[in-house]
Amino acid sequence: MKVVPEESLPTGDGMPCSGLGHGLGHVGGVCSSDGQYETPDPVTRREFMRVMSASLLLGGIGLSGCRRPVEKAVPFSRLPEGYLHGVPEYFATSMPFRETAIPLLVKSYEGRPIKIEANVEHPDKPSNGDDEAGRIGTTHHAQAAILSLYDPDRATRFTYKGVAVSREEAMSMLKQTGVKFAGLNGKGLSFLLERSGSPSRARLLRIARERFPEARFFVHEPVDFDVHRKAATLLFGVPVRPVYRLEHARRILSIDCDFLGMEEDAHRMIAGFARGRNPRLPRHTMNRVYMVESLFTLTGANADHRLSIPPSRIVLMTMLLFGELGRQIGWARLGSESAGLESALMGRIAGLPDALRGWATACVEDLVEAGSGAVVLAGHRQPVLVHMLAHTMNVVLGSIDHAVKYIEWPESEESPITELAAELNRGGVDTLVILGGNPVYSAPADLDWARTQRKAGTVIRLGEYEDETFPVCDLHLPRAHFLESWGDGVTGDGTVVPVQPLIAPLFGGLTELEVLARLCGLATTNPYDIVRDTLRGIVTEGDFEARWHKFLRDGYLEDSSSKSAGSVKPDLRRIAEAVRSVNPAPEHSEGRGTYEVVIAPDYRLDDGRHANNGWLQELPDPITKITWDNVIVVGPRTAAQLNLRMPSGAMGDYSVPVVRVDVNGRSIDGPVWVLPGVAENTIGLSLGYGRSAAGRVGNGVGYNAYSVRVSKALFIAGGAAIAKTDRMHSVACTQWQSSSEGRAVVREAAHEEYLAKAKLAKGSIVGGSQAKGALYQNPLDRLAETASYQWGMAIDLSLCVGCGACIVACQSENNVPVVGKAEVLRRREMHWMRVDRYYVESLEAARVVWQPMLCQHCEAAPCESVCPVNATSHNDEGLNVMAYNRCVGTRYCSNNCPFKVRRFNYFDYHRRALSGPGIKGQNSSSIARTDFLRWLTRMGPEARPKSELDMLRLLMNPDVTVRMRGVMEKCTFCVQRIEQAKTAGKTRAVSAGGATVPDGAFQTACQQACPAGAIVFGNIKTPRSRVSEAMADPRAYRVLEHLNLRQRVAYLARITNPNPRMLDKSSAETNTPMLDVIRSDGNHEQPQLR
Amino acid sequence: MSDSRQHVRPEKETSGELSPEFATAPMGLAREPLITGYRGLEWISDEATRFNEGGAPSWWRAGLLVALSLLVLGVVIVAYLVTTGVGVWGVSHPVMWGWATINFVWWIGIGHAGTLISAILFLLRQQWRTAVNRVAEAMTIFAVLCAALFPIIHVGRVWYIWWLLPIPTSNAVWPQFHSPLMWDVFAIGTYLTVSILFWYLGLMPDLALMRDRARRPVSRFFYGLLCLGWTGSQRQWHHYEKAYLIIAGLATALVVSVHSIVALDFAATQLPGWHSTIFPPYFVAGAMFSGFGMVLTLIIPIRSLCGLENLITKRHIDLICKVTLATGSIVAYAFVVEACHAWFGGKPYERFMIWNRVVGPYWWAFFVAVACNFLVPQAFWFRKVRLNLRAVWVLSILINVGMWMERFVIVVGSLHRDFVPSNWSYYRPTWVDVCTFAGSFGLFFTFFLLFLRYLPVVAVSELKSIASACVWGCSSTSDGPDTRR
Repeated sequence: MKVVPEESLPTGDGMPCSGLGHGLGHVGGVCSSDGQYETPDPVTRREFMRVMSASLLLGGIGLSGCRRPVEKAVPFSRLPEGYLHGVPEYFATSMPFRETAIPLLVKSYEGRPIKIEANVEHPDKPSNGDDEAGRIGTTHHAQAAILSLYDPDRATRFTYKGVAVSREEAMSMLKQTGVKFAGLNGKGLSFLLERSGSPSRARLLRIARERFPEARFFVHEPVDFDVHRKAATLLFGVPVRPVYRLEHARRILSIDCDFLGMEEDAHRMIAGFARGRNPRLPRHTMNRVYMVESLFTLTGANADHRLSIPPSRIVLMTMLLFGELGRQIGWARLGSESAGLESALMGRIAGLPDALRGWATACVEDLVEAGSGAVVLAGHRQPVLVHMLAHTMNVVLGSIDHAVKYIEWPESEESPITELAAELNRGGVDTLVILGGNPVYSAPADLDWARTQRKAGTVIRLGEYEDETFPVCDLHLPRAHFLESWGDGVTGDGTVVPVQPLIAPLFGGLTELEVLARLCGLATTNPYDIVRDTLRGIVTEGDFEARWHKFLRDGYLEDSSSKSAGSVKPDLRRIAEAVRSVNPAPEHSEGRGTYEVVIAPDYRLDDGRHANNGWLQELPDPITKITWDNVIVVGPRTAAQLNLRMPSGAMGDYSVPVVRVDVNGRSIDGPVWVLPGVAENTIGLSLGYGRSAAGRVGNGVGYNAYSVRVSKALFIAGGAAIAKTDRMHSVACTQWQSSSEGRAVVREAAHEEYLAKAKLAKGSIVGGSQAKGALYQNPLDRLAETASYQWGMAIDLSLCVGCGACIVACQSENNVPVVGKAEVLRRREMHWMRVDRYYVESLEAARVVWQPMLCQHCEAAPCESVCPVNATSHNDEGLNVMAYNRCVGTRYCSNNCPFKVRRFNYFDYHRRALSGPGIKGQNSSSIARTDFLRWLTRMGPEARPKSELDMLRLLMNPDVTVRMRGVMEKCTFCVQRIEQAKTAGKTRAVSAGGATVPDGAFQTACQQACPAGAIVFGNIKTPRSRVSEAMADPRAYRVLEHLNLRQRVAYLARITNPNPRMLDKSSAETNTPMLDVIRSDGNHEQPQLR
Repeated sequence: MSDSRQHVRPEKETSGELSPEFATAPMGLAREPLITGYRGLEWISDEATRFNEGGAPSWWRAGLLVALSLLVLGVVIVAYLVTTGVGVWGVSHPVMWGWATINFVWWIGIGHAGTLISAILFLLRQQWRTAVNRVAEAMTIFAVLCAALFPIIHVGRVWYIWWLLPIPTSNAVWPQFHSPLMWDVFAIGTYLTVSILFWYLGLMPDLALMRDRARRPVSRFFYGLLCLGWTGSQRQWHHYEKAYLIIAGLATALVVSVHSIVALDFAATQLPGWHSTIFPPYFVAGAMFSGFGMVLTLIIPIRSLCGLENLITKRHIDLICKVTLATGSIVAYAFVVEACHAWFGGKPYERFMIWNRVVGPYWWAFFVAVACNFLVPQAFWFRKVRLNLRAVWVLSILINVGMWMERFVIVVGSLHRDFVPSNWSYYRPTWVDVCTFAGSFGLFFTFFLLFLRYLPVVAVSELKSIASACVWGCSSTSDGPDTRR
């Protein structure tokens, strides 16, 4: 992609008009001769088309040609070379996410990005050589990012002291600030940054340090993963950080590390984990996961053995595990200093109960047995000591360069925000430049950030939203979304990846690089050129232009991953020191209570950055299945102590008690949720909610856990008290039913059993099934014989970790609306794909299985026979197709669907205003009333302001009908992708003859997004296709097979891998498979969760 | 039919004093007469049309006001529903059918008694039908209208509801004939048409009577228009009776078919609790049961309010109660059979469904249904109860409530917990559901009150046909045309 070189543009007041957006703005004539920039607020259709046509031109010519910088933008009347109307284009980019980036491929239609996919060509993907090339997917956050791009609530204007100013004025203020502090050597200038792995930002920061030698740099990341690097660096004495390659791990011990969920690079971790988890692997080297944690995380739910202990015990437990390792392999092998460490450790862990010791012994035995195939991970919540112990265990076990490697990573030169607070309080900050982040919301509560920040003379801030921090800023610059920005980043292994714009900034936002460059007074302020310059520094050999273009095309820089640090040697003395300084007793003395609090980022909103994203707000939490809220989680015993009576959602009571948690001298009220699996005496709070200025979607949702979070206890705090209040709060949960009621909808077996028995599920189902005892031949069977394709899907429950990326991917691909909390309370969420969660055995065992549930495309579909108007019918390729236009909405099909995967559009959800009462309100009728009043007053269904609707229209996938209300909808197996692939196949095959689509030529949206590769889709008519092979697996079964529906979706039974030596009472039932069709007679007396 | 039918216009001179033999009919062993205090044919006309010819009483005006208000409410609510979306109702996932469907089945069930009384009892020569068939038929038509309303408005896009009609020339697509909803269109359409025809045919002699008795030219004109030139000639009577018999035969089949097909809406699915072969007879019995319940509910107040005590006697009530008891027993039997099927069938999903009905979240609906449909009709074993009109009226209302609940149990109770447990949910109606239901009552009672006022409430000409029989019946126990049982 190319941008307009700013120098070539005439400017009014001599201020360089920079950036893609502005360049385009100029082309369109918005930048008038006097330099006034009219911010397009809100974006009108006309405005959009104007910007878009220019952007298209740039995109089209820039990417297909990449020959020369475009100097003039002309209207999109001449077709750029290689561009075809109606054919989507894909651009490689990446999503910066704290220090690392997720490599992406973004689908763009006529210049507007509409779908984010994984960049499967990225080299960092799990592959251990015994299968075809490895794969990676994306996370739910990456999938949802496209919605944030079109968020009309983003910052759209430049403001100074709250008043809109022109872009030029803002730019001139930036420049003046830079000039002023260059003169002062940067004295009084402070920067508050976010974590970033961008090489360009690092380069610009180096320049900034040179220009402002006395300026200070701080970093604020509410959930900081830097501890991984910090601990490794401290332990090994060289600047390194660990990278995990879980595909090489056979035994994984995770110490509070939610590597499948909320740790860094989850998409990569899940991919590696799933690769090692696959029971189909020939060597049966299936991994086994041990988890020690306090909350009930995604990783814990997927673990084979899980130890749930209060957070204060985790440090001791780690020491115990380490001590056990030392004992089993002999302390002497740890090195000369091990004696000191041994004595220090043994003193600490002497008093631990036998149950923990037994667990540790068995676990460590297993790890030792696996040797280099074992890996120990520590979570970001844990102190440095735990990390150091984990790293040392890896070294001792020999897993370095197998499942974990240490790569060189620059040390963080920035100071923490607490120091900035001290500096501000001292009055040492004249100008504070905040680049990203939202410190007023997310800074530790004891810093009183809103007031502290005001102590700076001037605050300049680059922010994506006019959020909580906005009112205490002087100069506020809108930040461009990453899909509108030029930039760069690194993936977890250090590979440099580009951040390419797919569209001109919709609201004229700036990038971080641009702001830094302007402050530094650089001649090059165009982020495109900045990135090129950075890359010039990295790419030292070969033809730069060629490599640059390859970099952009591939979406990564070849061979740029960080160097492995090679062999590392732990400094045991440091550990011993740290062990000695640990206070073994839980820190209960501080507060007035005896509970411990764990503060974790929310699975959906992370630290709050995604709060205004409706897709993520409505994505059910994988464990609790709660949407539109965060809850205070406690374990069942704690709940019993508190005498908490949880409602039974089954009886239509969706309100839970509100509790007050007192911790760190502060208190917070929030709805309580009893979650089996949460450690005793532990209270879990989640960050990211309770926003007051997130935007219309995110405001006022949930409670704000930051308000009790202090800098001394960012993640774990003792001395907490919890008390019930009189209030109740309605919680929109998409699945109240916790147990599968003995119904074999999900099937599971332990690994031993899988190896022992050839067939777990009842019969293999390859090649379509014969109807048992059918009196009449299904006429569609004849059609199926002649058709080239018979589509089918197999979902491997062993691999599915329940992350939910597929849900968001489906929502994005298929224009699935957000319905809002009130409607979720009515169970009217529209997700075509859902992930059902069931507790296995008992609630106390806290083991969970997931089952992605989507339209099963039954060959004998019950929905089809009852539709009175033929709106849903079968095609000859075995798809259960839906003609939305024909549907009158009797909803009969849904009633007859045994899986209830059909979704009805009760209201025009797409047309509802973001600010309307429907999104967060709890009263559905109030929304309806509002809709009705709008209809009355406007005599039209346009409940949503036009500007919002226009933005929404940009988001929509043009390949998929946007359904109106009153219409039933459901998963189509991404029929649009099937048809595109067929068209492409035919086009290719005109000369070649056969026009069949090769296996794997395209993927459904859920399949593409799945980081675990649990979903396989393809032609079941080809016996060698991956889906046919999956269906031939002895684990393959169909849900509710006795109904003889002959679904096209097969599930592969979940295989767990418990340690046979740890089959104690808690996991004894683990081995009881749920393989028979029905185990019990629909026993309703299964324990109810709530 | 007897000749007395021809006397549409009774001679003036017979009115007035009664002959003593009529006044003092020997009761003894005689059956209770179907007409009490019989004083001649014109007296029947007078009695039957008294309510039409006098000034409108205040209760009628008040009732009409209330009914009209409900109707207006219904219209507003339906407008709201259509403009806003069916989401204003409580229907949700997985309970995609809620009150609308329940109301539909309930109303259509009520719509059964009329045709049953008219047609089947006519074919069976049950003479007591003559006093109540008109009311029952009117009730049928209005109930079927209410019933037909619900499937129409419950769809997501009501403006396309005509796609259910087989109009290939304008649609270019046929509807899907496999779908029971499609069959509903035909079944209800036919039933409504035949019911109206049957009703209208029966009305014609009486409309002529009204025309002849009318004092105001306007009334005479309209009644004259409606009676299609009925003169009461022998030839007309001849054709009339043939036609009446044929339509009665047709309608009898429809009584069975329409509710069987409504039952197939459920039985043709595979949802536990719906997927059952017993549904068609079960639904037909339930429909008769609720229909007779509703007839009782309407007739008991009408006979006193409209001054029809002599024509609609306690004996009628007694007989209706007996039918209600019989059909109620069939319903109770079906209840038990359904549970037995689940038990002996050994299907865990079926068993769960039955068990869930009893102890699940909607246990209360189940118990109301059982109490009202099973226990309440047992009271009709007792003659004392059957003759206590207040008690019968209360019990009949309970039967209506029970049958509504029974449909609730079937529709919601089966849907809310189906195969895959993750779907399980709870259904709750909204105020719009309640108002829509109330609106349907508005529709029903508006029509019904207008009917009471402007059309003869009892089949006068038919009553006259049994009047002589009644006289004979009073004096003898076995002979005569009153071949009851």
